Amino acid sequence: MHAPSTLQHPPAPRLIGRVNGRGLWTLYVKEVRRFLNVFTQTLLAPMITTLLFLAIFTLALGRSVQQVGGVGFAQFLAPGLIMMAMVQNAFANTSSSIVISKVQGNIVDLLMPPLSPWELTLGVAGGGVTRGLLVGLAVGLGMSLFVPLSIHAPLFVLYHAVNASLMLALLGLIGGIWAERFDHIAAVTNFVITPFSFLSGTFYSIERLPESWHVVALLNPFFYMIDGFRYGFIGHADGSLLVGVLLMAAVNLGLWTLAYRMIATGYRLKP
Amino acid sequence: MALPAPRRFGAVNWRGLRTLVWRGVWRYFKMAWHTLGGPCISSLLLLAVFVLAAGGAGQMVPGIALAEFLVPGIVMFQLAHAAFENAAFPVLDDKLEGMIGDILAAPLSPLEILAGYVLPAVASGLMTGMAILGLGWLFADLRLHDLGALVGFALAAALLFALLGTFIGLWADRWEHYAMAENFVILPLGFLSGTFFTLSSLPEAARPLIALNPVFHAVGGVRYALTGYAETALLPGALLLGGPILLLWLLLWRLFATGYKIKP
Repeated sequence: MHAPSTLQHPPAPRLIGRVNGRGLWTLYVKEVRRFLNVFTQTLLAPMITTLLFLAIFTLALGRSVQQVGGVGFAQFLAPGLIMMAMVQNAFANTSSSIVISKVQGNIVDLLMPPLSPWELTLGVAGGGVTRGLLVGLAVGLGMSLFVPLSIHAPLFVLYHAVNASLMLALLGLIGGIWAERFDHIAAVTNFVITPFSFLSGTFYSIERLPESWHVVALLNPFFYMIDGFRYGFIGHADGSLLVGVLLMAAVNLGLWTLAYRMIATGYRLKP
Repeated sequence: MALPAPRRFGAVNWRGLRTLVWRGVWRYFKMAWHTLGGPCISSLLLLAVFVLAAGGAGQMVPGIALAEFLVPGIVMFQLAHAAFENAAFPVLDDKLEGMIGDILAAPLSPLEILAGYVLPAVASGLMTGMAILGLGWLFADLRLHDLGALVGFALAAALLFALLGTFIGLWADRWEHYAMAENFVILPLGFLSGTFFTLSSLPEAARPLIALNPVFHAVGGVRYALTGYAETALLPGALLLGGPILLLWLLLWRLFATGYKIKP
């Protein structure tokens, strides 16, 4: 009897160069499909919630607050709300992905394949960035039905959209690795991410804050991402644009290094 | 050796009902970080951003400071949301995890099971609402004008949303359905309800629509109780809350009796 020919000539292992392109792409697509599968929850729901925020704020304050930063209240509010939705969803995507994998035990399916730590970081964070950008696009399109949105500096819009999503995707990745239960990540969302995204100038100009809070705001990356992103739309910024651009890059570099180290050393991932 | 005699109980299985209610309330306390901490933080955030965004410009209603106007609205919004969540979540969780069998097998009538799910959710809503009201009192100069209206409207809103939550929990087959109901029904009902704005700031055409929203009346009633300012008459509002409560209660009683989606 003949042995099946595959045993005589077993398939050669796939040769991988410096980058496991196929593996990286597969991981990225898996992360994207994960949220597209439930797009009513991951794209539509944030869009509705954000539009509700726009509605209640303009209804409640539209008459008494005429002008902020040289534009109407709704035009001021819209970019901030878009940014808020983007960062919350970028964070939710990576953090939930990692925590669910850890709790259910299928995190080994990420750790076993021939993927290097930076490929893992890039694949998972890329999924979060994609979710953030798609949510931003959905919310922006929804808002443009109600608020005249014009783009003043497209590069600023793009730069801050990508960097803010990346920052929160990396934070979600780090938080997901750190968390041991769903509780932990819900606590981070409730007590860190939501307060920062609410209190960093989404809804008001920083001039509204008491003097002593200005310093705090000026050290807050959330403030710069919202401010720079809003500058891209309305052409007015509260803080320094250059500081914002540099700070976002620096923060992302730092978070990237941290996430990379966590994965490389297997912190709370490997036994 | 004599076997223990079966426990006798009358028309109502009080011990069973008490056990079921206590289980729900205990669940709320055990998860207080989420069930209480989360709403408290988000309420304070909403209040803060509104007051900061208004920047002293805002008095929605002459003579009433912005915070005084907002706190009753935020309290009722969170109360309704908590009552919904703490009903829908346990029902759906019990159903999906199969634990509902333990409850159906116990000597509890459909009415007792319904009460066993609804009452803890009502309590959860009221406790969340009270905590936020306590916090709000630190920032807003509220005075109690009408205790009856406060208790009545708070209780009605909690009951209505606990019933809605129980219904969604029974109806949903997956967590996704629950999230859809929350995002596309409960949150819009809560946000578009006069929680944050007055009726007069709405376009003319939208006013009759919002008057159909029970949350609008619940918010209105409690705002009257705490500030003395009433935008609409209270009695029609009370009826608009009471009617759906009665209907939902009867519907759910029937659904538990027939075993809708919970018995094979």
